Parts: sequence; C-alpha cells; structure tokens
Amino acid sequence: MDLDRALRIAASGMDVQTRRLRVVAENMANRDTTAETPGGDPYRRKTVSFTNRFDREVGANMPKIRRVGTDPREFNSRFDPTHPAADNRGYVKTPNVSSTIELMDMREAQRSYNANVSVLEVTRGMLSRTIEAMR
Amino acid sequence: MDPTRTGPIALSEQRMRWLEARQRVLAQNVANADTPNYRPSDLQPFARVLSGKVSEKPMLTTNANHLQGSKQNDGRIAKERIAANREPGGNSVSLDREAIRIAETDSAHQMAITVRRRYVNMYMTALGRPQQ
Repeated sequence: MDLDRALRIAASGMDVQTRRLRVVAENMANRDTTAETPGGDPYRRKTVSFTNRFDREVGANMPKIRRVGTDPREFNSRFDPTHPAADNRGYVKTPNVSSTIELMDMREAQRSYNANVSVLEVTRGMLSRTIEAMR
Repeated sequence: MDPTRTGPIALSEQRMRWLEARQRVLAQNVANADTPNYRPSDLQPFARVLSGKVSEKPMLTTNANHLQGSKQNDGRIAKERIAANREPGGNSVSLDREAIRIAETDSAHQMAITVRRRYVNMYMTALGRPQQ
C-alpha cells in the first residue's frame, strides 16, 4: 500500500537525520578534546555523507548514511606551554571543530527532520480518512 | 449498472490511488532532501493518467516463469528537470515546493473521499436507508 510505504520512507528520512544529529552532538561534545601525549593529534571532526539506495520492498529510494568520515581540515593551535599536550614549542593542537558550522548543520538536520515529520502527519491523516471511509 | 465500476465512485477511487502513489513519491523527495545528487520526481499529472496517455499495463509475459516487473516501475514516475535552485551538493529538492505539493495532495485526497461518501449517501437515500 502506497500510504504505508510513504510512512516508511518518511521514517527512514527521520532516521538518517537523527544519526546526523548524533554526529553533530559528538563533534560539539569533543570541541575541547585534546591529545593526551605531548604534540599528539586532538579530536578530529567527523562528517556524515548521505546516499540513497533503492529499496525493493518499499519501491523507493531510501536515504542512507554512506559513511561517517573525518574532516581533513587542519587543526587549530593555541599557545599554552603548561598544557600536558603542548609540543616542545608550547603549542597545543585543538580540534578542527567550528561551532558555527556544527550549529548550521544542526539547524539543517532539524529542518529536514521537521519536514519528514510533516509528511508523516499528512500521510497519517490521509490513512485515517481512508479507514474512516470504510465504515 | 454497477456503481463501483462507473461514475464518481470509480473515478474517486482512481483519484485516491493516484494521490496515494503521489504521496509516496513526495515522501521520497522529502526524505532525500539532503542526499547529494538527488533529483526530485513527481507522478505524471492525473489528467494524463486518466486520458490513458500513460500506460499502467504490466509487462507482457509469454511464460509463467517470466518476471512481471514491479508495479512501481511502470514509467509513471517522471524525474524533474534540473531545477534552477540546485545546491552545491547537486541536490535539487526544495522543501517548500514539496510542502505545497503535499498540501495539494492532502486536500485533493479529502475531496476525493468526500465525493465518494456523498455519492454513497445518495444511494443510501435512494434505497430508503438512513444515511451513513
């Protein structure tokens, strides 16, 4: 049934956005995670990339997480000679997480999630009207 | 005369089937709103389906072992031309346009259901039974 499938597609859309938000949360939480050894690399920002795969059962292109990769951008550094992770020049590498970018990503994920919720609500309305018509 | 084969009941049923299929396609567009290189699709307009310009026939088979092909891939789904507002990632889904289409589908579905119910009520009146 098409409406039933529409519900499942919307649910899969919500699922990928939730997992994206999880990665954003991870990045934000690790914004200050530095290395434990002197001169070591701190937390590297994670990225999510989406793809879609044709689901034969549903008969539609369902969104999927292709992979959770890492951001190759350079780390920031800060002068702090007393820090345990400082290198011999006194600089500490800090994660390449930018809170502005994470915030934008979070907003976008939220917007897409809301769109999927709306689809779910409208589809449910259509479904209940159809059931109502059978009485 | 079989009222379920002809007239408004059959038409509203066909319309509802089309609207439900469209809802599925629109759900797919919204779910893939952030998928790179995804192009949204939509069904052929209902008027064209109704006039028989778009075939809904299954694939012909000459042997019982032949595959019928899935009904979803019957060529009714048309990929949209690449829209002007394409994102850098190659995605051209516009959420507000999809929202308008979903609202259209929703109200058209309500309309089809109402038409059907009214028509059934007319039969009920003609048969001298209390209305639904």
